[in-house]
Amino acid sequence: MTAIASPAPGDVIAKPQREPVLVVSDLRAYYQTHYFGIVREVRAVDDISLHINPDEIYGLAGESSCGKTTLIKTIAGAIQPPLNVVGGSVRFNFGGAPLDVYASTPQARNAIRWRHLSYIMQGSMSVLNPVRRVRQSFIDFAFRHIGQPMPQFIDTIVAHLERLHLQANVLDAYPHELSGGMRQRVTIALATVCRPEFIIADEPTTALDVVVQKGVLAMIRGIQREIGSSMLFVTHDLAVHANLTDRLGIMYAGRIVEEGPTAEIFRAPKHPYTANLIHSLPRIGDTAPKKGLDGVPPNLAEPPPGCRFHPRCPLAMDICRRENPAMEPSGPGRRVACFAVTRGEPS
Amino acid sequence: MQSINVYIVKRLGQFFLVVFIGINIVFFVTHATPIDPVEYSIAAAASFGSTSPEAINMLRESLTELYGLQGGIWDQYLTFWKRIAVADFGPSVSAFPTPVSTLIGRAVPWTIGLLLTAIVISWVLGNLLGGLAGYYRESRILKAAGVIAMGLHPIPYYIVAFVLLIVFGYLWPVMPLGGGYQRNLAPGFNLAFVASVAKHSFLPALSLVLVGLGSWFMGMRALVSNIVTEDYVTYAELAGVERNRILTSYVMRNALVPQITGLAMSLGAIFNGAIITEQVFGYPGVGTLLVSAVHAGDYSLVLGITTISIIGVSAAVLIIDLLYPLLDPRMKAG
Repeated sequence: MTAIASPAPGDVIAKPQREPVLVVSDLRAYYQTHYFGIVREVRAVDDISLHINPDEIYGLAGESSCGKTTLIKTIAGAIQPPLNVVGGSVRFNFGGAPLDVYASTPQARNAIRWRHLSYIMQGSMSVLNPVRRVRQSFIDFAFRHIGQPMPQFIDTIVAHLERLHLQANVLDAYPHELSGGMRQRVTIALATVCRPEFIIADEPTTALDVVVQKGVLAMIRGIQREIGSSMLFVTHDLAVHANLTDRLGIMYAGRIVEEGPTAEIFRAPKHPYTANLIHSLPRIGDTAPKKGLDGVPPNLAEPPPGCRFHPRCPLAMDICRRENPAMEPSGPGRRVACFAVTRGEPS
Repeated sequence: MQSINVYIVKRLGQFFLVVFIGINIVFFVTHATPIDPVEYSIAAAASFGSTSPEAINMLRESLTELYGLQGGIWDQYLTFWKRIAVADFGPSVSAFPTPVSTLIGRAVPWTIGLLLTAIVISWVLGNLLGGLAGYYRESRILKAAGVIAMGLHPIPYYIVAFVLLIVFGYLWPVMPLGGGYQRNLAPGFNLAFVASVAKHSFLPALSLVLVGLGSWFMGMRALVSNIVTEDYVTYAELAGVERNRILTSYVMRNALVPQITGLAMSLGAIFNGAIITEQVFGYPGVGTLLVSAVHAGDYSLVLGITTISIIGVSAAVLIIDLLYPLLDPRMKAG
């Protein structure tokens, strides 16, 4: 757990790119419950460091209950007890205006919401207020940020909806009157209408069928390119990552175990978990039966010592049972947390 | 638009069906009682002195007609419905010969005035406080309000009423002990009379509010605690929408839908009167009237009050059901 090779801000500045929009360093967020004097800790986010550059779509993949949603909640500063941040920091940089999420006031955090940081949530079916028209949601969410008088504001929204192939009359509809795909496009419009620098997307296409999904993904990509925002895109669906994201982080049991350009990871996964994940994807012409990985992800209340993947890892060594591998650079733009890779001697 | 018309027609049909079945039950139940109103009235009249058998026979005939009891059960049934249609329930047995409709008409304004005020106040206060308590769960004042509401709620109503009466009517006599207004005032629309009515209804209304508040409070708080975990509330919070706005337009607005139904049910039950309240405070409303009618075996008065009450409850539910699509747009679909 020592010496995490996280990219210090200095490293990033050295690159010809602009400063990253988001820097997460050594972040730890645990669910802490106290019942009858017994403290129980679930380490859902444990020592995570990552950065996201301007105009980049960063993908976060991992199986259910690996801590993806906890991580993005923590990044968004939307945590409530029993979830607590116990260490590390989350720093945004919106065009030279830095904000340390856990060292700033709730007012400062609220001031950036939707203007700079917006959200596309899981389950678009239920994210819109069921008893009010769509127009009201736009007014509540965006009116104060856009700073136009009401008629011009509505014109702005209508113009924005057209980009997502929605007609102006959806504003007068109630959420239940729209189809699933339309509702998802409305939430995308809602999340992008203020042209935020950073968008967090949590499984936005999971509830949609594959055909609608494809269209929605193309729209997300298009609108992201157009307004030049960065995006943290979370889904367990690797096919979506392959189509959409620029860089990919693989999460396992509360930690990021591998990170790198998406295409590189798909071409040559390094961490044994990533390798298994990618080999489990069906390929055209491949008729060999797929074999699942033995075992189940660990209970985050009592994670195994050392590397959390070692009980299921085909390459596990002695050191894996004792020590936790740190994320270390491995090739251009890539990091991996695996002794078998970084020390190069699979047993 | 088409489906909304179908909805209205369906609900109207339901209303008439419920009223029809309810009034039928009233008719058959009252006809199954062992008290014969005709003989009861004759006995009352005869006790004042000796009457000739011919006079009694004439009296019996005219009374039978007045009560709509001539002929077989089927004839009586038809007469009954004819009279209901013109709101004529015949003369009261106990207050003979005052018509039942006059007695009810006299009592209803008192009851409506008292209960409407008390129900509306407790509904508004209870929902407001309950909504705030469910949303701002960390607030100490609201937690205290919750404890008070929960403490008051299980106390039997008559205890609350008697305690109020003893404290404010006897130990510290700032409020009248009973009645609807000061006896020496002539009823009329003038300041002295209105002030007297307000003063006399204060304690009964307060007792109803104190007891009614708790259930609205707890109901609303429970609803709100569920709604705050809904995705649309989380989403609005992530969007940095102001908390007050989230509370009113997102949380309370959604929680109000079931609470309005509860309000309608309470308002409909007004026509039953608040029997215990009116008894404890000697209030001249429908509840007092109903109790004395039952005691006196006043068949026509019981029938009249019950019929009005059935129509009242059904009408309140009908009105709320018709307003429902405005409250919850999802209703339009079904």
